[in-house]
Amino acid sequence: MKRIAPIDIAGGILVVAFLALLPMFAASNYLTGVLTVCVIYGIWASSWDFMSGLTGRENFGHSLFIGAGAYTAGFLSSIWSANPWVSLPLGVVIAIAFSLLVGFPTLRLRGPYFALAMLSASAILQRLCLIFWEYTGGEEGIYGLDPLMKNPLHYYWFVLAILAVTVITLTLLARSHWGLLLRAIRGDEATCQAAGINVTFYKIVSLMISAGFAGLGGALYAHYQLQVSPPLFSVVVSITVIIMVYVGGIGSIYGAAVAAILLTLLTEMLRGFGEYRLWIYTLTLMLILFFLPNGLIAPLWRRLTERLR
Amino acid sequence: MLQILIYGAVSSAIYAMLAVGFTLIFGVARILNLAHGSFYALGAYAAYVLTSLLGVPLFIAAPLAVLIVAGFGVMMERFLVRPLRSSQLAVLMITLAVSLAVEQALFITFGSEYRNVPSFVADKLSIGGVDISGQRLLALVAGVLVLLGLWLFIQRTRLGAAILAVSQDPEAAQYMGIPTNRIFSIVMAISAGTAALAGVLVSPFLTVQPTMGLLPMVKAFAIVIVGGLGSIPGSIIASLILGYSETIVAYLISSSWTELVSLVAVVITLMIRPSGLLGRRAAF
Repeated sequence: MKRIAPIDIAGGILVVAFLALLPMFAASNYLTGVLTVCVIYGIWASSWDFMSGLTGRENFGHSLFIGAGAYTAGFLSSIWSANPWVSLPLGVVIAIAFSLLVGFPTLRLRGPYFALAMLSASAILQRLCLIFWEYTGGEEGIYGLDPLMKNPLHYYWFVLAILAVTVITLTLLARSHWGLLLRAIRGDEATCQAAGINVTFYKIVSLMISAGFAGLGGALYAHYQLQVSPPLFSVVVSITVIIMVYVGGIGSIYGAAVAAILLTLLTEMLRGFGEYRLWIYTLTLMLILFFLPNGLIAPLWRRLTERLR
Repeated sequence: MLQILIYGAVSSAIYAMLAVGFTLIFGVARILNLAHGSFYALGAYAAYVLTSLLGVPLFIAAPLAVLIVAGFGVMMERFLVRPLRSSQLAVLMITLAVSLAVEQALFITFGSEYRNVPSFVADKLSIGGVDISGQRLLALVAGVLVLLGLWLFIQRTRLGAAILAVSQDPEAAQYMGIPTNRIFSIVMAISAGTAALAGVLVSPFLTVQPTMGLLPMVKAFAIVIVGGLGSIPGSIIASLILGYSETIVAYLISSSWTELVSLVAVVITLMIRPSGLLGRRAAF
């Protein structure tokens, strides 16, 4: 396993501490709420980065896993009135089930099949939510989920802790032998196969891990919003997550999480622009593709701390 | 029974127009164009603006709309896709960004409400006791003619031969003096044009709204995967299969289940025969 530089650990602790203390200075439920969403986006973005950033297999339908986790929470908590803590593990399980459903037929293949299938699956599931409105509540979705914790500040801290665990787990995995294999697959799949590596197995398991964390994030989101609705499955959610990873620097995981938090805060500030918001997002993506193909956050951090390594 | 036969043919023709353009640009330029659905939506909106807002007569508005969208496609290929072509990933991202930008632009300009486009032909026809609106029949006829024209163009003309050559080996084609980049532009124009034509033709009987492009594009993906990426005959056969099985499902079970047909078809294809019905080798 590659050693993690002390400066990276210090930086991580500092960022988490800063985020944890932020709501204390400006005690407003609004800020706590915004930060909770930021942190949940962080979970989504870093989980996307683990699979797609490392193996280079672009997942254009991460919202499939997010929505699966969220709707699991919605059904359990609101319709079957289960204990809200049950939704978190079950959200993970259902999201992983979906990842197997899509991953198993498509990840065996080379070529763009996986990207196309993910995009299609999430779009079709969103449509199915609207069509089978008797069960899913259609356009309105499912209301009246139970909160996991009464105090929003405590919930924020809980979600932040989960983000920290997510990023640490995924980073350790990415730096392990396992992560090296995933990066090797990104580099040259045929050579990996020739070296006797079961590439399909590694790709599918990494998709399962990615989907599990996304589903966890989805369930957390559902229990924050206390409702779920079909836009959770939309392509817009997937693309937002992808833009966050691109801004963070693909394959770095921590960069994706930081970029997700910053971009969500930025979006909140851009709320005044209303419907132009997504435009600004897509334009950001185009500019980054052309001018900063390596992203912003991770390369910047590496440059700033170059001398301390 | 006859009803299934006719309505299935209409939806197959529309799917085929979408899928052929999608597979063509992939087969020739290896561009996986996620903005293909936005060409369809732009075609429908262009028809709406030209007819309902500017009062242009329909039979001028339709070709004009197709030309505008084809121009848009060429511009997109030239200025956004071509600089990033070295990375397949960046191409996917930029085309997805374009499709979202188009959707948002339509949303901002026209709002999310449904728009109406007047029918090209108002008459209802009756074939063997089945009533069908003239507009649907026109879509069917136009679709068949366009596909036939495209086939003749590729098989019989010099330019078509050049397109075939580029699709087989772009580098060798370049050595033979074929201007590959210009071929890409032409193919992009054809691809965007056929998608736009599909959008124009369906605009009178389907809802015209900003997100209308996504689902047909998903169907086009499914068709192209079933038919084999890059194969035009494959995607036509797959369009027929999908168009008919959706119509049959709609009649026998319920129209709610039609959305699942394409998903099931894709999963089965990828499990049994990943390269599709007529795999990559038979590009045309």
